[in-house]
Amino acid sequence: MKTVNVHAHVDMELCSGCVTCEKVCPVFAITVGKKEGKLQVDIDESRCMGCMNCEQRCPEHAISMKPCPPYQLATDVGRFDYNKIEDLCRKAHFHPKQAVCYCTATRAEEVAAALLAGARTPDQIVLATGVGAGCGIECNQTIMRFLQAAGIAYEHPKRSYQWYGRTITAWEVPEELKKSRSVFRFEGDLEVFERVVNAPNPRDNRK
Amino acid sequence: MQRKPLTPAPPRKSQYGVDPKYVAMRGAELENITSVGLRELVPDLPDVIYPNGQGPEVVRRATEKALSHVDFSKIKDGATVNILASHHGFTFLGGVPYAEMLRTIKDVVQRETKAKEIRLRAGVGMRFRETEEYIKSHGLDEHFQGKAKGMAPIDAGVPIETELGTLYGLKAAYDADVIIHAHNSDVREVHFHRQVDRAVKPFGMSYARVETRSTYHWNLGPRAANFVARAIFDSPFVQDKFSFSVFAMMSPMGLVGVDADNDLYALNDRVTIDGMKYYGKIITLLSNIDECVVVLDFPCPVPYVFAAGVIYANLVASSKDLDLFDLDNPLPGYTWYTETYYDDRGKPLIPEVPPVNPAIKCVVHNYAWTGYPAAFFAEQTPTIVVGKEQAEHFDRDPMNQQYMKHALLSDNLKSAMNFAYRVSGADKVIIFDGCTGGVNVSVPLADYLKQIAPDVNKRVESVLLPKWLAQRNVDPAMAAMVA
Repeated sequence: MKTVNVHAHVDMELCSGCVTCEKVCPVFAITVGKKEGKLQVDIDESRCMGCMNCEQRCPEHAISMKPCPPYQLATDVGRFDYNKIEDLCRKAHFHPKQAVCYCTATRAEEVAAALLAGARTPDQIVLATGVGAGCGIECNQTIMRFLQAAGIAYEHPKRSYQWYGRTITAWEVPEELKKSRSVFRFEGDLEVFERVVNAPNPRDNRK
Repeated sequence: MQRKPLTPAPPRKSQYGVDPKYVAMRGAELENITSVGLRELVPDLPDVIYPNGQGPEVVRRATEKALSHVDFSKIKDGATVNILASHHGFTFLGGVPYAEMLRTIKDVVQRETKAKEIRLRAGVGMRFRETEEYIKSHGLDEHFQGKAKGMAPIDAGVPIETELGTLYGLKAAYDADVIIHAHNSDVREVHFHRQVDRAVKPFGMSYARVETRSTYHWNLGPRAANFVARAIFDSPFVQDKFSFSVFAMMSPMGLVGVDADNDLYALNDRVTIDGMKYYGKIITLLSNIDECVVVLDFPCPVPYVFAAGVIYANLVASSKDLDLFDLDNPLPGYTWYTETYYDDRGKPLIPEVPPVNPAIKCVVHNYAWTGYPAAFFAEQTPTIVVGKEQAEHFDRDPMNQQYMKHALLSDNLKSAMNFAYRVSGADKVIIFDGCTGGVNVSVPLADYLKQIAPDVNKRVESVLLPKWLAQRNVDPAMAAMVA
């Protein structure tokens, strides 16, 4: 869950139409184009979740973040069968109660609920839970792991610099690699993961 | 007689921190604050070339000397060259030595080769404009004739086939015929990298896309993640471009010298040994503080503020019972893996999750930046933030909307300290203010550190260092030679 309290705004006097903002937006809220021969940048405020990616990468410093009436990106876990939520979390190798985003402290169970609610793409998960709406960096693979666990294939949108693809997890590291690189303690870390994923759920929401 | 406090690093104007005018008082100005020289605590810390009263030309000379042993033959006539840098190097000593090292690399490559174009590509952590700010403030764009730019992990990517499958680098890092890796050796985030492949890490971080960084922090585990950088560096794609590395070699006292090598793993061994020997003593010493109030007072995000040459996160992650360098400990008290293993009531999911250093009784946040998710720190340790401007700055940051939910607010530093003393009952204070050559602390902590330092040094030399080296397959004979 994330509270959105700022939205991106473009100063068209400064904008050069380079399209960087469109490419770095993780929820595809920005469209750069032309209208009646004039450069136009549309920011869909119903999608902007205040991550500041566009503001941070605009080479012309044309984008600023302005306060907006606060609202939440959240999915109610209680609406869904908790058995299904828990199954999806464990399949993605997460404990339902563990955080899957450092910036928003969103829990794995909420991402699972978003998928059960119909989210099918990374941007839909972001907008439904706030995961990835903070730094926009570190929880990238938590989202991709959940999509795979839900059996959803996702293709990198070619025009975007976002969501290039899922990468390897501890459960997929080749045995030979683990043995030959013992300094890296692959096995020991996998044991830690397993203990967390399979730990009892301290607040089981099953109905 | 107690020594005067050392001069703290000045506040810096940045979009990631409050305007320096709001930093009304520094921790070093508080009553009962003194300083301890790092050599008083760790007598064998090596001599530094910077700061030592001379200007940055000493860094230029050291870089020239280090590069005189390097083979430039990979840089063919007409080649394009990217010098890859990271934001971390700019956080030392005002960034002066690192910037001079980068300028010198460019000048030497230009002199020794017939490269067509030499560019600076400087990566960041989570503050995407940070290196742009450094490039501007150090005049690097002029020195690189307009060819210096910051790279962010959300910029265009390039797939890299590795032993771990497809990972992703930044296109801007690799859009040249040849790359030069220009970094620094301080241990910094030892809670993450555990001094395993420290010198290789930027290939999995500063020069990498979000997918790769997320793989490091989520997918492989707190120790195994360090293989990500090695997998990328060893890939045919990177090996085809890589020429050599140049490192600002640091100790907690400052810049010891410059090292350069065509063989990154040979340099990595030297970095590993130095880091464990010198930073290992300082971190072990600080982690043996029995109780303290911490003052954050440096122009960096919360975990990265400096004292005694190490960052605050090192103190948070370690404790008298938790040795950060010991690879038998899977989880430090703070890593991004550890942080996520608490449930939504703040309870650990498994009993093996070590607590945040219990010696930290209270934190006074006098001056530290946003741009890094820091709510965990305030949630785990009572925290008082000085100044409403700073609190509002954190509330607006998408990475820190939870920070002030866990922290108290005080009008001024003196009131915050009085409150911290009262609620913690501690009289030992350590100030993370980036002063060099020593550390600003309260008088009782100065006395305590001086008292325990000899035993800590002996234990590191005779017990811990041999264990740390063995865990990393580093030959002790080589360690003796490097030392």
